[in-house]
Amino acid sequence: MRYVHLYFTCIKRSMISRLEYKKDTVVALFSFFFSNLCSLAAVYFILQAIPALAGYTLAEVGFFYGFSMLPISLDHLFSDEFWLVAYRRVKDGDMDMHFLRPVPVIFQIFAETFQPEGFGEMILGVALIAVCAGQLTVSLTVGALVVLCVGAVFGAVIITSLKVAIAALAFIFKRSGPLLQIIYNFSNYAKYPLAIYPFFIRTLLIFVLPFGLFISLPVDTLLTGAHDPWLLSLAIIGAAAVFFALALWIWTRCERRYESTGS
Amino acid sequence: MIEVNELTKVFRKPIRGNGLSGMVKTLFSRQYEELRAVDGISFSVPDGEIVGYIGANGAGKSTTIKMMCGILTPSSGSVLIDGAEPYRKRRQVAQRIGVVFGQKTQLWWDIPLIESFKVLKEIYQVSDGDYAERMAFLGEVLDITRFLSQPVRTLSLGERMRADLAASMLHNPRILFLDEPTIGMDVLVKEKIRLAIHALNKTYGTTVVLTTHDMTDIEDLCSRIILLEKGTILYDGPLNRLKNRFGNLKTLTLTVPADVRAETASALSPELAVSREDGRLILRFDADRLPLEQVIQYAFRDLRAMDMKIAEISVGDVVKTILAQQEAADSRADAARNNGGKNDAEKV
Amino acid sequence: MLKKYKPFLRAGAIDTMAYRFNILIWAGITVCEVACLVFLWLAVYRSGAGGMDAQIHGFSYREMISYVVLTTIFNFVTFNNDTLWNINTDIKKGTIGNYLIKPISYRGKFSATCLGSLLTMTVMFGLPFYTAALVTLGSLGFLPELSFPAFFAHLGLFLLAGLCAALLNDAISYIFGVLCFYTSSGWGLNSLKVTLISFLSGTLLPLAFFPAGLRELVSWMPFAGMSQNPILILMMKYDLAASLRCVALSAVWIVVLELLAKLLFSHAVRKVTVQGG
Repeated sequence: MRYVHLYFTCIKRSMISRLEYKKDTVVALFSFFFSNLCSLAAVYFILQAIPALAGYTLAEVGFFYGFSMLPISLDHLFSDEFWLVAYRRVKDGDMDMHFLRPVPVIFQIFAETFQPEGFGEMILGVALIAVCAGQLTVSLTVGALVVLCVGAVFGAVIITSLKVAIAALAFIFKRSGPLLQIIYNFSNYAKYPLAIYPFFIRTLLIFVLPFGLFISLPVDTLLTGAHDPWLLSLAIIGAAAVFFALALWIWTRCERRYESTGS
Repeated sequence: MIEVNELTKVFRKPIRGNGLSGMVKTLFSRQYEELRAVDGISFSVPDGEIVGYIGANGAGKSTTIKMMCGILTPSSGSVLIDGAEPYRKRRQVAQRIGVVFGQKTQLWWDIPLIESFKVLKEIYQVSDGDYAERMAFLGEVLDITRFLSQPVRTLSLGERMRADLAASMLHNPRILFLDEPTIGMDVLVKEKIRLAIHALNKTYGTTVVLTTHDMTDIEDLCSRIILLEKGTILYDGPLNRLKNRFGNLKTLTLTVPADVRAETASALSPELAVSREDGRLILRFDADRLPLEQVIQYAFRDLRAMDMKIAEISVGDVVKTILAQQEAADSRADAARNNGGKNDAEKV
Repeated sequence: MLKKYKPFLRAGAIDTMAYRFNILIWAGITVCEVACLVFLWLAVYRSGAGGMDAQIHGFSYREMISYVVLTTIFNFVTFNNDTLWNINTDIKKGTIGNYLIKPISYRGKFSATCLGSLLTMTVMFGLPFYTAALVTLGSLGFLPELSFPAFFAHLGLFLLAGLCAALLNDAISYIFGVLCFYTSSGWGLNSLKVTLISFLSGTLLPLAFFPAGLRELVSWMPFAGMSQNPILILMMKYDLAASLRCVALSAVWIVVLELLAKLLFSHAVRKVTVQGG
């Protein structure tokens, strides 16, 4: 309870900081819209050249893309500071103050930044889903709806866990940003039906970097009814629990290795 | 209560080869060079004391402070803050200490100062009553009330340091670590900060450990100093005793008639060093060996002094002397070692 | 004259070496990423109207796979550059003032670092990776038969185009870096730069997939010279004349961008001096 209160105090602080930099928020929002626009354009250009991708129409592939933005945007809202930890803050010896406070360091990192740009991403995702769904003729079952919600929320937990675990490696290697970026990039390949990949990549995207588990499979459940929604929901929740526990464990192990600079 | 026991910190630094071949070599194997930044030091600080931690750059001051507040782990030996090891019981110790690093701020850069305080209040679980009382006290001694609503990035260096001091005192820590609290400030601001540190120590009984390059800080604040050189303690004790290590050195500055010459003035005793500066006569001597009254009498009677100023040697001079002696001894040792090496080579 | 930039050339090389560990991890994971990309493209070709062996926008699936693999290596070797972040840091910490009074140009410092890093990366990683990729792709029959004198001519032009690409990237990074004078959202600018380059340089997909108008426009911009054109030169999809034209266009753009960077920098510095930074 204390931490809930503390979290909101810190988030309020973060929002006050943001208001000081309205111009920069515009730059960040623009760059983010632009980058999504380019990715979408690429998908659109490719699908213009072929009738359908492994039997999935443009609208269906667009639905995959739109849905992928939901867990990603949720993660974006709450854990953006870990990017800075991975890329710069440990390397620059800029973590001392967190270690001098009587609150868990990982909590302080979560509480350092609340990124309202995530809402922009979420709105874009929902809009894309709406546009694509309008051209689809599938019936929305309760099971499919549940698995999509579970995929979005617990998928965000899994993304955050991966981020925490890899950012923690910076305590050992000084800089883990490039690694984090490259792992994050794998989410791009889960924005398609997994059927297009051979066995080993499917395995990778379901069990190791499980972006496919909570993006592709739930959407596939809606579009083709290929999977049992309830089992899949359970699997996603289970995976989220495992990844989250693992991330916390890795973070605590690595955090102990943090040393300030000598001088 | 701080107890430091046989504390040692060794940094490992990779050795980089020269030129392209060296670069390629480091690609495959890495050799490390060991740097003993802190080398087996022991001391303890009782509650309520103000300790000055001094030494040249790279003597190991910051490294010790960082080990004492738990952001560096000792290579061997231990630090106990009220019985807890800070690098093991980080959160427990954090509640008991306050830390200010002169070069870095723990305040949030772009928000009004008061907002930073509000967040710290929650982080340290300061009750509303304590918060109000401490803000009133700190606002007065540190004179920060005026700029509470300004973002930290708009504050001057001195203002920011006072704000940082206030932030570190908000939870009423038992121990305050200050690393270079007056660095880069002008005399008036320094004065303000020293007064504030004094007031905090008096009012709350806070133990203060501070590092500084400014000898006035030391003389004004510290009842005890720890002098560090190359990771070991050169001197630990009260300020006046450090002075006494060099005898009871005094300086007399005399205004004398123009015909009194420095050479004749030293006739009293070989213990008396005399020089002429800006038309004044400066007498330096050790009052334990040459009684002060005797010199004063001599000055008025024999040297016909019209005016006189007596001064004790300053701590700054003492520290400078100690460090210079140490350096001279080291370079002699180095020279001896080099000569030894050369002889060996000749034998081969 | 250029000798004073040598330390920065060296620093670029040494920094690159220092991160060799990260680079090995990168290589391992990138193999997986390229595999994903390859199978994505295979799925595209399998779904094509003309079947697996048809060309899509002038690319057979073999060429497309070669393109994907070579582009990945090329981007890794060529775009190894912290210019934007370094400028951002210099501005934030105020250390940029120190450089303005030094007798070396701030711009030259970054070019030298960029070249040092390019050299190291090409020798240390480019050489083995390109060789492995070319041999593998060649023996699978994914690349055209090698006719030797022509191949060496293309290889030479490819290296030249690679150099141009690195310089173009550094110039663009520098320009975006200088824009950090105007906003403190270095993150936003960086992401904008990365997106702009990966989309318009043909890294995301070959520019042939773009609609005709956009394709024509982009072909005159500097970006194609940063990834697609060097790779197509190496794959001998361009004949020698077309290859030379590409390199020439890049060279012109380097000059234009450097001039632009100079103008922008002096404007930004004036702005800072007026405001007292």
